Amino acid sequence: MRVDPFYIVNLSGALDQTQSTQQQLTNEISSGLGVNTIGQNPVAAAQNVQLLNEIQTEDSFTQTSSLSQGMLQVADSALGSVVTQLNQAISLATQGTNGTLNSSDLKSISNQIAGIRDEVISLANTSYQGQYLFSGSQTGSIPFSLNSGTSPATVTYNGDSNVSVLQTPSGQSIQLNLPGNQVFSSPSGDVLGALNNLVADFASGNGNGAPTDLANLNTALNFLDQQRVTLDNSISRLTDASSAATAESTQLLNVQTNLMQADIPAVSTQLSLTESQQTALINVIAALGSGSLFDKL
Amino acid sequence: MGTISSALSLVDSALNADQAALDVVANNVANASNTTYTRQVPNWEENQPIYLNGVAYGAGVTMTGGVSQRDNVLDQRLQQQTQSSSSASALLTALNTIQSSFPVASGSGTSGDIGTDITSFFNSFTQLESNPSSNPLRQQVLSSAATLAGDISSVATSLNQQTASLDQSASTVASQVNSLTTSLAQVNLQIQALSPNQDAGTLEDQRQSDLTKLSQLIGFNQIRTENNGLSIATTAGQLLVSEGASVQITTGTVNGVTHFFAGGTDITSALASGGGQIGGLLTARDQNIPAALTSLDQLAYGISTQINTVNNAGTDLAGNNGNAGDIFNAPAQVAGSAEAMVVVMTNPDNIAAAGLGKGVGDDSNAVAAASLATSTIIGGETPSNFYSNLVSTVGDSVSSATNENTALNASVTQLQSQVSALSGVNLDEEASNMQQFQRSYQAASQAFTILNTIMAAAINMGVETAVS
Repeated sequence: MRVDPFYIVNLSGALDQTQSTQQQLTNEISSGLGVNTIGQNPVAAAQNVQLLNEIQTEDSFTQTSSLSQGMLQVADSALGSVVTQLNQAISLATQGTNGTLNSSDLKSISNQIAGIRDEVISLANTSYQGQYLFSGSQTGSIPFSLNSGTSPATVTYNGDSNVSVLQTPSGQSIQLNLPGNQVFSSPSGDVLGALNNLVADFASGNGNGAPTDLANLNTALNFLDQQRVTLDNSISRLTDASSAATAESTQLLNVQTNLMQADIPAVSTQLSLTESQQTALINVIAALGSGSLFDKL
Repeated sequence: MGTISSALSLVDSALNADQAALDVVANNVANASNTTYTRQVPNWEENQPIYLNGVAYGAGVTMTGGVSQRDNVLDQRLQQQTQSSSSASALLTALNTIQSSFPVASGSGTSGDIGTDITSFFNSFTQLESNPSSNPLRQQVLSSAATLAGDISSVATSLNQQTASLDQSASTVASQVNSLTTSLAQVNLQIQALSPNQDAGTLEDQRQSDLTKLSQLIGFNQIRTENNGLSIATTAGQLLVSEGASVQITTGTVNGVTHFFAGGTDITSALASGGGQIGGLLTARDQNIPAALTSLDQLAYGISTQINTVNNAGTDLAGNNGNAGDIFNAPAQVAGSAEAMVVVMTNPDNIAAAGLGKGVGDDSNAVAAASLATSTIIGGETPSNFYSNLVSTVGDSVSSATNENTALNASVTQLQSQVSALSGVNLDEEASNMQQFQRSYQAASQAFTILNTIMAAAINMGVETAVS
């Protein structure tokens, strides 16, 4: 059989091949990535898009939830202070209703309860980063304003009853706020109304009607405590969701790294093999290219 | 009965034949590096013997010329494989350019990756949920929207530019095809006139060289006709060369791209699947790029219209109820929406984070926008999964084109090696042939010298000193 007289020329094609393999392997080592173009491994590249989407969504949620947790904690501690104030008001009102105090004492109790009411209103007007926490969706306007012109004084709610939620990557909705009219002036437990009535009761000097209003305040305090549980639940759910997101993100990152990362020891071994092959090829070409029968004529 | 002079003329024919054979060797050696050259071997023919009284006397040898060593079937196989191979290689080059528009994201910091952009965009709405009236968070929504729109649009633009450049390359190839078919028609005429019944040697080399060049450009079939003529038709059967006449491929613009015509018929789609460089170029231009662009258009259209709809269904910071305006420019139709994608909203206050009629602190519309990320809004897929499918489709086409190209290259190399083994000039072989013909020439000269001595003896009739 005849041989291809140009086979040495063809060997240079093989030389190109080893060179391009070297280039690709060097690329993998320098970038640390096993998949440098989508054509190299389309399945991994497509999975990578989805994994990164999930990882980034989890990471972003973790950040968002820490902002929301701050806000929820401010709201919760405001409600905690309200509870303390209300307990104080209740003990004052209890003193006032035991029938042993004179009218000037009762007026002084009225003044003290009025002070507590003002404190509760200012707590109900708590803001976080410029946003009022208890005004429903009307976070730009002060939720409660007091009108002392009437007796008993009245409180106007300027917010609405809208509830905001934060959606977790797994799709659950976590309540982010308590509308003020639900916490402080709900028909089921009107904190501010009861306080105003007590102020008016004791201001008159005789304390008539105070026992009923005291009972109402007690009911309102219980109702507020119930509402506060919603907030506490949100905080703990958010904390859980956030740590779940962090854990999941870490896990996905591992998967993504395994999927995309170059196996450096394997790649290095391949590279050194390719280098030896190239050297061998060059030597073969040099040796074969130098002889011809014409030399012997 | 043989005579001395007949022996001399016999030697004479041998010397001539050897010289002619050495010519053939010299020509082979001269063309050793010429890839289009086909090796020739001297063709020896024994002269008709002379019969005298029933006894045959040899009349020497004639060298009737070099015969080109070619295998037409093998040549055709090589040409056909070259057509497939150059089509695959042109397609691969084009696909490699396409895939550079879809970089592999290594982490969240990768820029220019549409997948990351989509995620960041929808995440910006989730972040807005934590504080719907925050200006920085609203700015972030607009800036991530601008990044997304910019990247989608720039990928679409670069795909369109690539279409234009492939279009131009295909036209250039078509004009090269035309000049080759013209030259082939002329060579056909020459061959038919000069060598109707046998291999046309150098002229055939020229024809084969033209066919090889043509194979790299376009897919075709060849049909041998009478008197050693040749007809060439595209793989779809459109005649390009009919013996001495060639049909020019003409171009015309249809729907903004160049279409190719032969004899008045639009052969564009046939050329795309036919092979050769033009086949690969047209496949990329008419199939791969439009497919990627269509997906991008769907993605851009889906995100733009859905986000705009959501934004117009809520209340923004400025108090617009249900008419807060579009975030992205509203695409009129799917086609072209990727390249035209741009953020038209300038004031972050116009992002409608609140539900319709609700206060500035409400986030129900931001929740709705963020949840689009996990809704199957584009072709039955979430935006991110849709993009992931696009990446996988483009990646698959690159990967299969790479494999095909490697396989075809290997088979072309193998066929080329077979052709070279038969038709290439082997210098060692030429050296040994030359040695042989030289020896043969030397032997004939020696015979001549001896015959000369004998002749002298005959002339002098035994007196050896008269003539020497």
